[in-house]
Order: sequence, then C-alpha cells, then structure tokens
Amino acid sequence: MTDTILGVEHLSVRFGASTVVDDVSFAVARGESFGLVGESGSGKSTILRTIMGLSPDWSGTIAVNGVPARGTPRREFSTQVQMVFQDPYASLHPRHLIGNAIAEPMRIHRMDNVEARTLELLALIGLGEDFAYRYPHELSGGQRQRVAIARALALSPKLLLLDEPTSALDVSIQAEILNLLNRLRAEMGLTFVIVSHNLAVISYCCDRLMLMQNARHVETLSRAQLRNRELDQDYTKAFVAASTL
Amino acid sequence: MSENLIEVKNLRIAFPTEAGGWHQAVRGVSFTLGREKLGIVGESGSGKSLSGRAILGVLPDYVRIEADKLAFDGIDLRAASPRQRRHLRGGRMGMVLQDPKFSLNPVMTAGAQIVEAIRIGDRRISRAAARKGALDILHSLHIRDPELVFDRYPHELSGGMGQRVMIGMMVVREPDVLIADEPTSALDVTVQMQVLSILDELVERRKMGLIFISHDLQLVSRFCDRVIVMYAGQIVETLDARRLGEAQHPYTKGLLACLPEIDGPLTPLPTLDRQAAWSQLP
Repeated sequence: MTDTILGVEHLSVRFGASTVVDDVSFAVARGESFGLVGESGSGKSTILRTIMGLSPDWSGTIAVNGVPARGTPRREFSTQVQMVFQDPYASLHPRHLIGNAIAEPMRIHRMDNVEARTLELLALIGLGEDFAYRYPHELSGGQRQRVAIARALALSPKLLLLDEPTSALDVSIQAEILNLLNRLRAEMGLTFVIVSHNLAVISYCCDRLMLMQNARHVETLSRAQLRNRELDQDYTKAFVAASTL
Repeated sequence: MSENLIEVKNLRIAFPTEAGGWHQAVRGVSFTLGREKLGIVGESGSGKSLSGRAILGVLPDYVRIEADKLAFDGIDLRAASPRQRRHLRGGRMGMVLQDPKFSLNPVMTAGAQIVEAIRIGDRRISRAAARKGALDILHSLHIRDPELVFDRYPHELSGGMGQRVMIGMMVVREPDVLIADEPTSALDVTVQMQVLSILDELVERRKMGLIFISHDLQLVSRFCDRVIVMYAGQIVETLDARRLGEAQHPYTKGLLACLPEIDGPLTPLPTLDRQAAWSQLP
C-alpha cells in the first residue's frame, strides 16, 4: 500500500487480566473506507477507542498520517483523527446547545471564526442554522447523529472513526446517514474506519473489511471478495451465511 | 376456546402533554390474533410497542387507553380488574423484552428467576419440582448444560444465553400468547437466528399465538405468518409475510428499499419521502 493514513501494528489491548485485542495489525490507505466487523466482544470497538487514546493499557504501534499515537500530545493528535460514537442519545451533552457542542473542539484549539465555521458545518450535514440554538433533546436520533458527525469534522481531520454509526437508528434514517457519510467522504477526501456488526452496511460503505473474533483478526477481504464469496476461513463463511440467510 | 385469542378494535393510546392536552400515540389500531405468528413492524414512535403493552396491561396509570374492543380469549380486558389482569400476565400471556442485560434481575441466578416464575403461578409446586421444571425448560431451549446455566447470574451469561433464559421464564407456564418486543435486536447476527429458531420451535410445538414486534421488516417476514406495518400510530398495511414484494403502501415499499444489501448496488440509498397523507386519519 502506497499512501497509508492509518497504520496499526501488533496492537494488543488489555483490560486487567483479559486481553481484548490480541496482536492485530492492519493499514488503511488514504481515501479508503475500511470496515471492522465482528460479534460483540470481538474487540472491534476497542481498537477505535485505543486509536483515540481511550484505552489505558495497550502495546504495539498506532500511527495516523505518520504521527504516532503514543507520545504525541492529545491536542495535536486530535486534529488528525476524530470519532463518532454509536449512541447519539448519549454522546451529546444534554445541557449544551448544539452550536456550542460543535464549536467546543474549535474553541479548545483556539481557532478563528468559530461561529461562522459552526454554521458552515451545520449546513454541511444538512441541518439549518437555527439548529445551533437547540438542545439535544429537541432533536431526533438521526439529527443528533448528524450533529455528532459535524462535531467530529470540526477540526478538519482526514480520518474519521465511526463506531456503529447507524445501529441506534431506524432503517429509513440509517439510509439518510449512510448517504450523508458517503457524500462527505467523496467531497472532503476523508478516510473512514467503520465498526459495525451489520455486514450489509459494511458491504455498502466499505472498500475493504476486516473480520474479528475473540480479540483476534480472522480475515481481511475486499468488497469484491466478499461479494464473490471468496472466503477462506470457516468463521467468515458462517458469519456471511448468518448475515445473508 | 374461540378462534381469536386476541381481538383489538380501534385501540387508541394517549399521553398527557405538559400543555395539558393529550398526545395520541396510537390512533385506531385494529387486529386479531389466532394461534399464529403475527409481526408488527414500524419505526420508533410508530406505536408498535405501546400496542403490545396495552394488551398486556403494563402501561403506566397516567396513560389513557381507549378501545371499542380489547379482548383476550373472550375476556374483556377493559373491564378486567388489576387482579384479573395480573393473573393473565405470566400465566396466559408472556412478554419477552429486548435486552436480557436490563430485563433480568441482576442479583438472582438465572435458575432462581425461572423457579420464581413457576412458583408464582402455583404455590403448591415443591421447590424440587420447580427446579426440575426450570432445568427442563432450559434444556428445551437447547442449552447444553442446564445445571451450569441454572446457577449463573445474568452478568455471567452471554446475550443469546440471557435471552434464552428470559424466553424460558416466559414460556415455562405455557402461556397462550407470547408478545416478543424486539427479542433479537440486542443480539449478534450469528446468535439471532438461533434464538429465533428456538422461539419458532416453541410457538409451533405449543400452538401459541405470537406477536413479534420489530423494526426489521425483512426479519419479521421471514419468521411470521402475517405482518402489520404501522406508521404514526396507525396500521398502514397488513401483509401476508410471504408476499412482502407485493406491498402496496409507499411507506412499506420505502422501508424495504432503504436497506443496504451485501450484494446490493453502491448508488445512494433511496430515502423515505414522508407524506403527510400517511399519518392522516382515514
């Protein structure tokens, strides 16, 4: 791979005595959309959280745009990569106005024109300017997830980590969010790493995917390999069979 | 026993609003349930769970429930006393909820919860007999080592196992009707089918009536005989589950079209263009 934006090598993550990610390596090319698939407890979300610096005990190397995750100040690293969480009902502060929630990362980074940029971001995700003066409880789940995406884009990172971005949403809203994500990726040249248990979502959104089971890497496939059912491992075959029926 | 286990005619459910008015969440739902598998599908807020809970009688007191008819096996549920309804719940009607992590008692072992369900139904059953009943039901749910699961606490069980324990609690007293509210949404795809086939087997063998509430139209149509599609508190369409492709209502069609598929096209997904007419009262 020529232009790697995210490199993860020999990553292991431990929670106390148990190892939840066991020697996992993968690389994501610039502009690519990469999927992490697996059952609950397979460690896929933990990988994203570790990239964001949310796991205390890990070994191996993580680099985003050549910037190592270990040793780089959080403030500098946070301009490289941002994350969107699963539950839009839990990931926005209930007592902060939407505008403030989106502006906060820019204020922390002492950026200029924060207000104007906030309104730009609201327009980008398809919400009107008046949403800046609303509270999260006034928004639907899909609208909140849009706000979470705007907030993640506030610092103009090139890499976006999405942890089950649509699994808390209705299927009709899921379609809107997936369309929005695809449009943003094309327009802004973003790279995505998407965690999902839904193989259909991954096959629709991702160029390549990695299947995990019990903290370990099982198989990495391209979309074409998945769709032609060129599957090596038994677990992959079982997983695809359970997802298609 | 009459043909219809459950008869619902023009069910309306309303919540009081802060302004002092009423918000109509369910607006005139009618259906019947025989000894069959009936799916109720809709988005969040469509009133599908509320309808299920109204039948069971587990909605809070401040909710206003009106219906021209709300009957279970000939018993008028509107006129039934709380005592009578308590009697029906658990004994003749059961409910399986979405997430075993939240709906099992965290400080009781799985077995003790099933034993409790048995002994609430019949106090004369001895402890030993109840234990045996619980182990039998766990066994019939394809749990390989029932003794082991019996002594586990909910946090020591996986999601699929927890859901089986909950199904066990609900079917151990052999209810006539089982209401399953998103019983597999919290489970992994690989476990989902297992739990569904267990549920299917139980319903078939005991000739229960099942109401399967879900947001997943595909899943419901694979599993049920008939499917009711709800939108904004009303039924927009009732379908034969095998004839999903013949859906007429634009909302049903939209729900089917907006799902990505593993082998589907990569063009933008069609989104629902919600028409005001869909939510107007007929």
